[in-house]
Amino acid sequence: MQRKIWMTTLAILAAASVTHAQMPASITALPSLPKNLPSWLDNTKQNHIFYKRGPYNFAVYNLKPLALDLNAVAVGHAMAYEDLVTGKAATLDSATFDHINRVLNNPPKFMPDEANLSPTFGRKYGVLEQVFDWTHVLHAQTVDVLASPKMTPAQKDREIRALWDFYFTQVPYAITPLPMNMGWLDSQPYSMAFRHKYPKVNGLFWGYHWLQGGMYDMLDGLTLEQQKRSYEVVGQRYHKTELYRTNRVFMPMFAETSPKFAAKYPDIANAFDNLHMLHDMVNDILASDWISDSQKAEQIKRAIWIVSADAHRNEKAGDGTDQMQGSMHDHRFLEGMPGMGMMKGATTELMYMPGMGWMSMSDCHHCSMPLPTGKDEWRSSTVSAEGWTMRQRCALCARDMASETKGQAILRIPLETPEKTLVVISDEEGNLTTDTPGVLFLEEPGSHAKCNQWSRAFSGHAAFDDFVRANPKYKDAKPLTFKDWANKEGAGTPATYVKPHGPVENPYAMEHEAKEAHQ
Amino acid sequence: MQSIPMTRRRAAIILGATLALGGITFVRPAPAHEAPCPFCAQTLTQDTATQDNEVTLKLGKKRIEYKCVYCALSEAKTEYKGDLSILAPSEKKGEPVTLKRTDGKWTASEENVAFVAQKANHKICNVTYRAFTTIEAAQVYIANNKEQLPDTKPLTLAQMLEIVDKTNEKAK
Repeated sequence: MQRKIWMTTLAILAAASVTHAQMPASITALPSLPKNLPSWLDNTKQNHIFYKRGPYNFAVYNLKPLALDLNAVAVGHAMAYEDLVTGKAATLDSATFDHINRVLNNPPKFMPDEANLSPTFGRKYGVLEQVFDWTHVLHAQTVDVLASPKMTPAQKDREIRALWDFYFTQVPYAITPLPMNMGWLDSQPYSMAFRHKYPKVNGLFWGYHWLQGGMYDMLDGLTLEQQKRSYEVVGQRYHKTELYRTNRVFMPMFAETSPKFAAKYPDIANAFDNLHMLHDMVNDILASDWISDSQKAEQIKRAIWIVSADAHRNEKAGDGTDQMQGSMHDHRFLEGMPGMGMMKGATTELMYMPGMGWMSMSDCHHCSMPLPTGKDEWRSSTVSAEGWTMRQRCALCARDMASETKGQAILRIPLETPEKTLVVISDEEGNLTTDTPGVLFLEEPGSHAKCNQWSRAFSGHAAFDDFVRANPKYKDAKPLTFKDWANKEGAGTPATYVKPHGPVENPYAMEHEAKEAHQ
Repeated sequence: MQSIPMTRRRAAIILGATLALGGITFVRPAPAHEAPCPFCAQTLTQDTATQDNEVTLKLGKKRIEYKCVYCALSEAKTEYKGDLSILAPSEKKGEPVTLKRTDGKWTASEENVAFVAQKANHKICNVTYRAFTTIEAAQVYIANNKEQLPDTKPLTLAQMLEIVDKTNEKAK
């Protein structure tokens, strides 16, 4: 009998210590649900709303590989959620992962209805399903507009803004377009549970979000042929690397993958980042075994409320008094990037990108000179490589940055008007190709203080001559052909480059350690 | 470490631009943006006033930086098939050893090239894997870094390549 008592005591103590081990040591209590929440948060009806009418709908199928990959993303989200709430959490990183992975490699031909794939999840967390679904409609329709070969750039711009209005005004459960403090959102008592417990499925989620962010700069302002060529590179990266990365410490942000689109449409960029953060918060809540079912429902409701547009009425981007900082009402953003909220450890001037160090979003990532703003914002080039997309001030900065980065790269270099962009693909050995070989370049190297003037690309002789006439100091400059330009050797680090230093060496150091401890 | 206030940072940029306008150039085959080592994912160790640390792999028109010579050799052997060269810092500032692979055959710019290779956490691989122009220079380095290189002996290029092959084979 004594032995039985002893064994029982040990069992109780062991159970208690397991529970305690799963609960973060610093937790005292879960945050309470705010009072007087709007009634839509308790809605259990399906409320399916379909697309805004438009001739561009489903134009994404012009880029069939991208369309199919996006269809598979919807399945991946739904399968993981359904398994999480139907007692299959224990095999989420094995059986569920394999199941999703099969779909990702054999995507459905049409966009599935997520509600049909995750009926239990939908019944348990009805409003959440609607929030996800409605914002996914905005994702789908904005991509359709960008992939439409029938619309002019000006029509696309108008329609994207109209789609935003449609999204924002039709339902009460739109996501806020304001920049949110990501560091605070990811510091809840349950934060990071999912990524530690299910690193492989979390990697898939962040892989989807990488694609859903990165596709915008890959599409905006480009011809259908340029888009197709670009997706050959992006799709390969997505399937080979991004879906299976388990070394990220934070979700991919929109401005890290589509900085030009994020600067142009900050409302949309912020809403998508906030939606993706809601995904992470919900995942973390569901993965926290120390939270009871009723508490989970309450915390999910709170998470929806935090990122909802309703919770931030009459607030505006840039708000961030001392009292607001580090709270749900902290709407400061990074200088030069209104489409990005405050990241962990960031100041309004500098942010830390894991693996890349501290950086300014308002300066060229190659020469540190200020990026064009206002009416000249379109003049930035971008380079996509190694999973990131960064802005540069001139064509030379883009070429040199690509040559200093491992693997394939996509360079997007503006020509003489905002409507024309040159797309250059770099292979693994730095050989550059383009589908617009008739372009010409001005490259008269001097200080990078004026690289936005002496390094430019033009669609042809007429545009080059116009520029030289307007800028007589380049009257003796010889236009370079694409071949001449592409064969130029990198000039090394520009003298203007400044390596920024943030408030701490690495604000994610603890996450790195925790990740290593879990592996 | 303190954040550089915006005004100071801008001033630094303007100073850099002014220097550049004055004709002062600073050219080295290194990326301006901060990137992790593509092999070990650790932060690259920058060159100092007295010692070079950055290893550059040249492949076609690409110039990719690595944290140490082991990282660059490992990537050369596992990721790339064609001809390439690696500029590995030596004991002499500004005078790297060039390792070339042509038609699969490796050669070094220095006849008596030597290496130190001591397995360690990649946070310090720039200390434990290095190239030298002579065996004597490698021995001096080992003597000066006894703590990180307790039982290390200088290696030839062939021995260094063998170590890279063995460890990469184990990692498969």
